[in-house]
Amino acid sequence: MTPWRRRWGLAVALWLGAGLAAAATELHVFAAASLAEALGDIAPGFERTSGVRIVLNLGGSNDLARQIRAGAPADVFLSADTVQMDLLVSTGAVARDDVNAWLSNVLVVVLPAGSPARVQRPEDLLAFTRLALADPEAVPAGVYARRWLQALGLWERLAARVVPLLNVRAALQAVAAENAPAGIVYRTDAALSSAVRVAYEVPRAQGPPITYVAAALARSPQAARARAFVQHLRGSQATRVFERHGFIVLHGR
Amino acid sequence: MAGEVLGADDLRLIAFTLQVAALGTLLILPPGLALALALARYRGPGKGALETLLALPLVLPPTAIGILLLEAFSGRTPLGRALAALGLEVIFSWRGVLLATTVMAFPLLVRSARTAFEEVDPRLVGLARTLGCSPLRAFVRVTLPLAWRGILAGTLLAFARALGEFGATIMVAGNIPGRTQTAALAIFHAHQLGQDGRAAALAGVMVALAFVVLWTSEALARRHAARA
Repeated sequence: MTPWRRRWGLAVALWLGAGLAAAATELHVFAAASLAEALGDIAPGFERTSGVRIVLNLGGSNDLARQIRAGAPADVFLSADTVQMDLLVSTGAVARDDVNAWLSNVLVVVLPAGSPARVQRPEDLLAFTRLALADPEAVPAGVYARRWLQALGLWERLAARVVPLLNVRAALQAVAAENAPAGIVYRTDAALSSAVRVAYEVPRAQGPPITYVAAALARSPQAARARAFVQHLRGSQATRVFERHGFIVLHGR
Repeated sequence: MAGEVLGADDLRLIAFTLQVAALGTLLILPPGLALALALARYRGPGKGALETLLALPLVLPPTAIGILLLEAFSGRTPLGRALAALGLEVIFSWRGVLLATTVMAFPLLVRSARTAFEEVDPRLVGLARTLGCSPLRAFVRVTLPLAWRGILAGTLLAFARALGEFGATIMVAGNIPGRTQTAALAIFHAHQLGQDGRAAALAGVMVALAFVVLWTSEALARRHAARA
């Protein structure tokens, strides 16, 4: 091997090694997609005081729970429903005592901003040819929407028009891009896009109870830091951020 | 075993996958062969650039093709609006599956067919022309019979690509069970829902289908090479 080749080989090896070596002071937070912006606002404060870097993995809670069950390196799981967290509790990935119910949200019907359609009552959804939802079989936002429509007796008639998407943000995007004439997302998602408008807000008493739960993972090698982050999410600073984004902060467990 | 895991819906979606791939392959055959013939005969400037451009879908991430197609056909674009007004929505419909899979399959057909056409001795075509054949007749009676194995191999490759396309399809057509869900999307979806048995059964069916198609394609290519 010529010397220059050896040098290049060494450089490539170092680059690969540096890139693939895990940094010890990172906390991997697997979080429901709807929490993206709020967590983006909260993480820097926690990083400054703790010296720990927060690495977010955002997605549908069902998908995140599946990744965690398959052994993905997560330290904290922030789920948009209790079902996915309970799955992890049942497999021992999360200790029951570590689960905190800490946020709630509201479902809204969104339309493209320029749409002339009106939704004054849930039955008006029958006027749309397509309805963008997070996958109603699995993703919390979609499951909540399905349970709301089932309770009203509308699901049977709407099911064939549903466009199931990977997570709630994909449903928001489908409406924003005018690829679907209507969709159901969280109020907090709708507030993020000027390309959609809220046509109907599901009264909290009418919809299923929406509960976000947080937990440090039992097998996290940094369990103490993970618990500290969950505690931080329930602190007064974080509470203000969540409320500013439109979440409802639950008190107690 | 597959019979226990795969239900009637799964058989329907496998049929849908085969239908869309077959229809897409038929649709790209005429423009694909015309382009392949033109590339095989053309010797002027820009040939290299054109061939590279044509090969792009083979090397780009399918999701890059997906976003380009979304930008072109979304409900916000004039094209998307015009098609929607005609009742021909592409996004989140079976037409979207057709569009995404054919765009991904097109270069495979053209590249194989071009090679096959290039192997046809142009003197034979010239001879047919001097004997009074029209250009079309010379193509049908001389070029096609000499190149058909390569064309068929390319057609099968394109069909196989269309069968398995995932990235562009899920972006353009969504993943709607019973409407736009192909076998490739169903495997992903079943896995997402934790139905790994069903995902594996569908994957098994796809392995079998792809094997048959590829094996046929390879066998034809080998016989073509042996003749050449």
